[in-house]
Formats: sequence, structure tokens, C-alpha cells
Amino acid sequence: MINFTDWESTTKLLRYLAEGSVTTLKVFFLTLLFSLPLGLIVALGRMSKHWWLREPIKLYILIMRGTPLLLQLVFIYYGPYYILPKWLNFSYDRFVAAILAFSLNYAAYFAEIYRGGIESISLGQYEAAWVLGFTRVQTFFRIVLPQVIKRILPATSNEVITLVKDTALVHTIGVSELFRVAKNEAARTLAVTPIFVAGLFYLVMNWVVTKVFEMAEKKLDYYR
Amino acid sequence: MQMLKVEHLYKGFDGKPVLKNVSFELNKGEVLAVIGPSGSGKSTLLRCLNLLEKVDSGNVTVAGETMCYTDQSGKVVYAPGNTLRSIRLKLGMVFQSFNLFPHFSVLRNITEAPMRVAKMPREQAEKAAMELLEKMGMSDKADAYPYQLSGGQCQRVAIARALAMKPDILLFDEPTSALDPQLTIEVLKVIRLLAAEHMTMMVVTHEMNFARDVADRAIFMHDGEILEEGNAREVLTNPTHEKTKAFLRGFNEI
Repeated sequence: MINFTDWESTTKLLRYLAEGSVTTLKVFFLTLLFSLPLGLIVALGRMSKHWWLREPIKLYILIMRGTPLLLQLVFIYYGPYYILPKWLNFSYDRFVAAILAFSLNYAAYFAEIYRGGIESISLGQYEAAWVLGFTRVQTFFRIVLPQVIKRILPATSNEVITLVKDTALVHTIGVSELFRVAKNEAARTLAVTPIFVAGLFYLVMNWVVTKVFEMAEKKLDYYR
Repeated sequence: MQMLKVEHLYKGFDGKPVLKNVSFELNKGEVLAVIGPSGSGKSTLLRCLNLLEKVDSGNVTVAGETMCYTDQSGKVVYAPGNTLRSIRLKLGMVFQSFNLFPHFSVLRNITEAPMRVAKMPREQAEKAAMELLEKMGMSDKADAYPYQLSGGQCQRVAIARALAMKPDILLFDEPTSALDPQLTIEVLKVIRLLAAEHMTMMVVTHEMNFARDVADRAIFMHDGEILEEGNAREVLTNPTHEKTKAFLRGFNEI
């Protein structure tokens, strides 16, 4: 057990965990940066009237939601080495692999949230915009999407909170983030305290996420 | 001057005919009432005119521009995209369910299209919108959001929104069917006002008194066909066709 009155080892632990948290936050923000827009594209493809676009995307969503993220992570990091010709001796940065796997996985979940939101907007909104002369693109971005965002905030908040916790999975391919640091420290000091403190770190991050979404919901509360 | 000419319009949904050989004309400044039982094709007719539905065959001309025609092989040919776009802007539309944009204030509901579609400067668009709201008796609601308004107020904003694009013809699809009698009066008053200003209008309605008093001409539709057409007062008080008589009798019984 770490003795919290031992100032030196306490600050050292907190410093390690803070450093790990930086990587955790990088995974978190980069995943959001890529998966939120990608999810929208996937959602639009999923709703396409062309089967050759819709069906492959349905398969993609099925795979992403139907297999463990942990498995996808391992597959995306180690897979290319085994799949590609051996003479390429392919290898790439584990952090890049983590972002790739997370973005692809979360895009599938966000896509289904977007789709639910988009399909909840009545046809009348589109027709009213079209008869006023709005183009399809204008109608989507000015009339439909703002209303969709308001409706999907609660579901999105759920998903983003899960993402904060899922970032711990990237330790399996050797990315040194918060959980890995805590686990190593726990093993080194034969104490559970680092794990407990790391838990508090995750909790604080999600408290911030919750607050941000609360604020966003409040900001969009001006209409119904 | 002829604003709208429709000839031999046919339209079906999944092989089921909805409009059968519909032909009529609408002159500038005229108010045309379209009456008839539910499912007679009135709304579909309006939706074909403003391009929310495509016709199967027939000719439609809006303010001198050909929207679609049927070639020798019987295939319907629509005008190129930019012509359709300019035709669409000649037609304003008011829906039964208002379809206001809930995330925009009343003012922005009215200014958005003039600014984004007609590229009108904000000040000019807002000034025009305020004048329209004044006319609708709603200038105090410019900053309100649609959810704060009554149905009648929503519909008046929807009329202002359509008028803001300065259409040549205003189409109404049962504008008062979602409103109680009190609110219906508010909306009909506004349409009456527009009629007095000689706005060209085509109104699908179940308000027979309104149709008789305000419309110049009336069309009675039944099963996708125009069974009777003529002077609104004539059609509504002295119908010649049996179906029209039966339909109007039904209304008088209420």
C-alpha cells in the first residue's frame, strides 16, 4: 500500500498517472475527431437507396458492433503483418493502430445514432425547405442536422462516456496510457492504490464529459 | 394573363391511378378553390405542381415556363434542373401541418430562404419579413419560436415564409384542416386579405363557405378527376354534377 503521507512517492504516482492520462486523452479526442464525421458519412451511406452502397455499410456496422473492440484492436495492429506479403515486413505505430481501430469502431456506433436522429425528422421539414428553394445540401446542413444534433445529444453522451472507459483497452497493444501505467505501478509497488487512483481519474474525465453534454443540452433548450 | 396551365395530367402510385386527365388553368390574380372528398387527388395535384411528386404524363406550364410535357412516345419530359429550380421559386406552398423550422425564430423562419436562396442581404430580408409579419398581425412574435405559437399563428408565419420568396402563385394544401374554428378564422382572414390584393392562389380546402366567398373559380375533384369546374359561387351553390351535389349536401348536414 502506498502511504499517502509519503509525499515523494505520492507525487511520483500522480505524475505517472497524469502522463498516462495525456495519452488516454489523445486517444479520446483523436477518436472523436475522426469518428464523429466518419459516422455521419457512414449513416448517410447506410440510408442510401442504392443497395451496393447500403449493404456493404450494413455489413461494416454489423462487424464493428458485433465483434469485441478488443479483438478489432489486436487484429488491426497485428493483422497487416500476417496478411500482407512477408517481404514488406509491415509494421506500424501502435498508437496509430489504436486510433484507427477506435475511429472505425466508434464511427459505426455514431452512425446508428445519427441515423436514428435523421430518420426522426419529419418529411415535412424537407418538403418545406425544398419548396422554398433550398438545395438538398442546404436542407440537410441548415434544417435537418441542427435538429438531429439536439435529438441525439443524450445517446451521444452515452457513447462518449463509454469511449472514455474504452480507451483503457489500448493497453493490450502496448500503448502506455492511464490504465497501463496504473497496472505497472500496482505491480511494481505491490499495491492496489494506483488502480484506485486511476479509477478516480476516469471518473473525473467522465464528470467533465457529463457536464459538457449537460451544457450543450441546455444551450439547445431554446426550442422544442 | 395565364399563370398556370395544366393539361391531361396523369399520376398513379404503384399502378393505382390518383390523377386522371386533369386539365385546368389559373389566371393572374385569380383564386382557385379545389374541393372534393378525401383521397380524390387534391393534395397530390398540388404536390405534382410544386415538384414534390413527378407526374406520369401531361403538360404543365407555370408563368410561361414549361415544367413538363409529354412527347410523342407518351413519355413525360421534365425541364432541365435550373428551369425547374426557377419554376419552384415561382410557386409558394403552405402545408396543412405548417412545417415551420422549429430551431429558427419566427423572423428567421421567414428570412432564411430569402437570404440563403435568393441571396438577399440580411437587413433587407429582415425588413421585408417584419412587413409581412405586420400584415399577418404578428409583429410582436418575431423573436418567438414556433413551439410558443398557436396553430393559427404558426400557419400565418408559414404564409409569411412562403410570401417572403415573392412567388407568382401561392398553393395552399388544406391550410386550416389542423386548426380549430377560432384559429381557422384567423388564417382565412389572412388569405382573404391576400385575395383582396389579387395574389394568385390555388387553395385545397374543406371550408366551403370560404371557397364560395373568396374564390373566383372552383374545381370539384372526385376519384382523381375534375368532375365540375366553374365560377366558385355557381359550383358551390348550384352544382350540376350528382357527385358534387352529394358532396356538398354532406357538408350542409353537419
